[in-house]
Amino acid sequence: MNQATMTRRSFVQSATVAGAALAAGSALTGCFSPSDSGDEGTGGASEISMYVSICHGCIQACPCKVYVSDGVVVKIEGHPDAPTSQGSLCMKALNQIHTCYSPRRVLYPLKRTGARGAATAAWERVSWDEAIELASSKIAEAIEKYGTYAFFCSVGGGGAYSFMQAMTTPMALGSPTVFEPGCAQCYLPRIAVAGYMYNGADQSIADCAVLEPFKGLAPLEEAKGVTQNTKVLVLWAAQPSVSQTAQSGRAMAELRARGCKTIVVDPNFSPDAVKATIHLPVRPGSDDALILAWYRVILDEKLYDEEFTKYYTNMPFLINPDTKLPWLATEVFGAEAQTTPDNTPVYVCVDENTGQIAPLPFGDPAEVSKTVNPQVLARADVLGKSSRSAAQVYRDEADPWTLEKAEEFCWVPRDRIRAAIDLYTSAEVAGIANGVASDMEETASQVPIGLCGLDMIMGYVNKPGATLTQNGPLPPDGEAPRPTRFWNGFGGMFGQMYGIGYEVGATREANEGRIAAIPEDWDPEGPMPPFMTQKTLYAMNQLLIDRLGMKNHKGLYEWCHSHIPTVREAIETGEPFKPRVWFDMSGNKFAVLGSAGAWYNAIMNDGVDFIIAQYPMITSFQIEVADLIFPLEEWLEATNASAFGQLNYAFPSPGIIHLGETVPNSVPPKRVIDAAAAKLNEKLDSITFGATGKSMTEMGLQFPLGLGVLGGADSEDAEWAAQIANFGPVLGLEEGATRDDYLAAAKNRSDVYNVTPPDQYWTYGQHLVTANDGLPVGFGTESRKCEVYCTLVIKMGRNGFPYCYPREQAPIDPRVGTFGGDYSPICNVPQQKEAPEVANAGNFIAPYDPEFPLAITSGRVYYFHHGTMRHSAFARELYPVSPVRINPKTAAEYGIANGDWVEISSRRTQGETYDHTRSVGTELSYSGTKAQNTKTAEPIRTVAYVAEVVAPNVLWLERFWNPECFDSTQSTKTGGWAECNINVITNAVDPNFNEVFGSYTNRGFAVNIKKSEKPANIWFEPTEFAPFLPDTKNEYLPDDIGAAIGNRDLITPPVVFPAAAPAGGDQ
Amino acid sequence: MPMRVLVIDLDRCSGCDSCVVACKFENNVALGNYWNHVKPVIPIGTHPDIDMYWVPIQCQQCVNSPCVAACPTGASYRDPDNNVVLIDKEKCIGDKACLVACPYSNDEGNIRPSVRWFNAAENVVEKCTLCNHLTATSDGVENREDTTDPAHAVPPCVHNCSCGARHYGDLEDPNSDASKVLAQAEADGRGIHSIEAEGASPAVKYILSEEIATWRGLGAEEAPTRFL
Repeated sequence: MNQATMTRRSFVQSATVAGAALAAGSALTGCFSPSDSGDEGTGGASEISMYVSICHGCIQACPCKVYVSDGVVVKIEGHPDAPTSQGSLCMKALNQIHTCYSPRRVLYPLKRTGARGAATAAWERVSWDEAIELASSKIAEAIEKYGTYAFFCSVGGGGAYSFMQAMTTPMALGSPTVFEPGCAQCYLPRIAVAGYMYNGADQSIADCAVLEPFKGLAPLEEAKGVTQNTKVLVLWAAQPSVSQTAQSGRAMAELRARGCKTIVVDPNFSPDAVKATIHLPVRPGSDDALILAWYRVILDEKLYDEEFTKYYTNMPFLINPDTKLPWLATEVFGAEAQTTPDNTPVYVCVDENTGQIAPLPFGDPAEVSKTVNPQVLARADVLGKSSRSAAQVYRDEADPWTLEKAEEFCWVPRDRIRAAIDLYTSAEVAGIANGVASDMEETASQVPIGLCGLDMIMGYVNKPGATLTQNGPLPPDGEAPRPTRFWNGFGGMFGQMYGIGYEVGATREANEGRIAAIPEDWDPEGPMPPFMTQKTLYAMNQLLIDRLGMKNHKGLYEWCHSHIPTVREAIETGEPFKPRVWFDMSGNKFAVLGSAGAWYNAIMNDGVDFIIAQYPMITSFQIEVADLIFPLEEWLEATNASAFGQLNYAFPSPGIIHLGETVPNSVPPKRVIDAAAAKLNEKLDSITFGATGKSMTEMGLQFPLGLGVLGGADSEDAEWAAQIANFGPVLGLEEGATRDDYLAAAKNRSDVYNVTPPDQYWTYGQHLVTANDGLPVGFGTESRKCEVYCTLVIKMGRNGFPYCYPREQAPIDPRVGTFGGDYSPICNVPQQKEAPEVANAGNFIAPYDPEFPLAITSGRVYYFHHGTMRHSAFARELYPVSPVRINPKTAAEYGIANGDWVEISSRRTQGETYDHTRSVGTELSYSGTKAQNTKTAEPIRTVAYVAEVVAPNVLWLERFWNPECFDSTQSTKTGGWAECNINVITNAVDPNFNEVFGSYTNRGFAVNIKKSEKPANIWFEPTEFAPFLPDTKNEYLPDDIGAAIGNRDLITPPVVFPAAAPAGGDQ
Repeated sequence: MPMRVLVIDLDRCSGCDSCVVACKFENNVALGNYWNHVKPVIPIGTHPDIDMYWVPIQCQQCVNSPCVAACPTGASYRDPDNNVVLIDKEKCIGDKACLVACPYSNDEGNIRPSVRWFNAAENVVEKCTLCNHLTATSDGVENREDTTDPAHAVPPCVHNCSCGARHYGDLEDPNSDASKVLAQAEADGRGIHSIEAEGASPAVKYILSEEIATWRGLGAEEAPTRFL
């Protein structure tokens, strides 16, 4: 070993077999230590600097150290002080070097010059001024001609998190249309349901809602006396070791090493299932029945926490069979039964002591129990109506689901189910952490309602070790108000900003009073801010009413998003209005949208007039259909002022390097919308506000509506100012410090992070604190209790409560509701539309279709997050395609051997007009306006992995796409989304939507499989991925500019824009 | 005589391949070559009564180091200071004798799992060096303030390991991380294993509890496809 040879050897020289020239001046060494800035060789001395940052490679965030030499990032490693990852870093973070310097980086604004389609794609570099002018002109022209609803946005979760920008950009121009392929299919159902049921943190492990089980794992925290308390953790359809490899994955390894038992519910033998105490390999899509089997045992055997269930949940409430809502004591016993403040209704239960019905007020159990002992499972006559307690309704729903029946239906041995229930219920404290699977199935609301309710009846709430805990300082006794919750947008921000939405927990009178207090027009002397007017309120409320798909799937209001299949149908039919100009703010829509072929066809055949995209890379979506691309910063370039961190630690996210003319993701939306608004405000008389038929002038509005585009800053400098405000104090920086000051001060310092003291963060018993009305604080629901029987969704389905307020949304089509025409307030088992043959399934599964005899589901793998990283050579050489997992018994039936290429088909690859009477449809399909041929694309292909890791008749496949298909080395270019992508065969066309959230079916549907051959454009051998290495010429830059890495011409300071043009006067 | 090794806790390893990528970045390993490789030992039994584990495999730092004896030029050698088995690429003539001698390598050094790899571009054999360029003088107990501190550095595959499964150090030094982890595993009654091969006497240790899976080395069968 020659140390000098080793340290001077260029990363690029040996990391690639391609012959591309290495730009002079590159000092990208693979091996080094800061003391080893030697001067041997020809490269000359190069100083290596370290900066603390935090990875954005997945939805979680691992603190790390980034080493830079000559403006080039040369190494990334985990930060040892991180409280969860503890120095771990997975390949999604390590490969960020190859992402940042990828030949696929978009480094300048690009305008399409050829026809749409990967085969004809060609690009011209344009200036930022030209790009913003082009985008704003196209938007303004469409709005002038067709009204404000002609514009729409979309966003996504992989690599460019522009959620707030995407949500508010269309609103700013008076359009209700925005969507995100995640949303209803990822996380929204779980976060929303937790809000509905107790206004607290949800159970999602990937989305960092679950924190409590991971505390006290790091030596630094243990030294402060912080302890780990979770004794049993249930991973229901979650695989943290894969999805959040170095964060929750590391934490799972630590938890197990400390003796925490785990129950893993997953059809796949995932790494967390491999290590589980008990693995329940549930048949895809049957989680709802398995949950009801748990309820049946727990309720029958009184395994629940009796005091919590009686006094802090609504399980004892008697339910009016006509309204399906709890009886109010005032209805039954008269006004004097309302013994608590008006904002805290008294309900009705059966008193176990007397056997009679009695008022059940909210209060301290020690007090309330003096007058009533609520019976959990109860039946009683109330005002002549035979009524059941909420718990009894649940128990009756669970009645078919004995352990025996669950085994038959869910394909899990009954002994295992029983052992899991025993482990979960006998623990001193346990918690459920759920994953995305149910969001991608028709049971997207039922499953999280069921799982949240389980932790509630077990009393695993706001206590050390429980998943359902809250963080932050507790208020002193006697000061906190009765908790309430606003709705619409993250944390109800649109309610607070514009007045729309009902404040749950406040009385109806209080809500009406709040609306009435908003002035007609802005009064500079008045108490309200300028955006708070009746005119803005009316307009925003109109957007809610007209948003696509909201009539039937009102849970989407939670994030102010449209129903994706309904948006596609609107593009196809122009009904009820045609979205025409599209601003997408994320990655590969064709990789992540269900039934991707239907979207491709809609865009190519039915027309979207102009597509603006912003993303750091070119993906299938941009190569196929984008007309204009804004270059965005990658993580290593991006200064992000948002507080990222782990547990009570916040880490900085400074832009350490910069390439080309990339900008923060908030800059283009703000600049474009300002420019479009300036154009449109010249013509307010002639611009129609959406479907109202009224002009903007008649509506009394101008652009941008309300507060305009929110989220992030309109310049790099503003992002830096926020970053410095957060971390300047640690570095001793004064106010007004600059990017250069920060980078100088932070250089080689490993302690650049903020820590909240444990006693201000790890707090418990939030609901037990005494409120200012003398009662316990309780929870921010109508009943002030945990609503295991989720009353809010019943009300929501009927008129949009609590989102669409004060003006209401139309009630759902009764065919949508699975609870007698309403959204189901409890876990139930709606008919599964596509499934393999299941014995004695009765009406729980639609008639078996032998053409598609296998169940398929999916999940993440360690290598990628959402659609990202497929261009990373070091990931792809290890995982060139996503193999389909198949049981040996099934493989034998189909003549498939290990490593065979196979073809997978579903109804989406087979011609047939769907029968909208057989399941839940969109409004257009119900009315017969829209006929949809289910064939949207050709079958997909992949390699078979034959092993016992899945049950017979179950397949498992990660979603995938192939950026190599449009590499410049290919003679025939394709978009790379149709070859291996499970979302070609997923179901967003044949209606099968979750009632509350409109979630379509990305998992748990029916397919067929047969032997096939490798698609032509796919790379498979490791060395084939050489064109993805960073010394390869950039695909979208002129030849003379060359590769991104180490190229001095491309190492640039951040882009500086002139001050934005004013968009118009105050409103 | 120092005995620097990796001790790998298979109860923790989730098979994420991050160590493979950390190694590739640190050591500039070419596409298609893998100085370390995470081999899934595929399930035995019938669904759902199955178990499996992953074995990260790289140079086993054999006590006998048959590669050293087989090398005609002295390119395969032990570091005179810390006894780590290394290859001097200046001396390597690419004759692949060490590939044949090493029981953990395929004869051409081109198929996983092989701990030695033939670098065709340079006509040399390469392998895991325990990142001796970083760790030669390290005591194997990482300095969390400065992870590049040569007195305490660990290989990046160890530092970044997503599950905290990989440990580095001198087994002759009871205070090294590797020694401590091994001692604790022994005290806890967890299984301690080596991938035995005739004449090799491998020094790398693997920890695997029976309740996670039954140890069966690299497994009787090959991984079903090369990338799983």
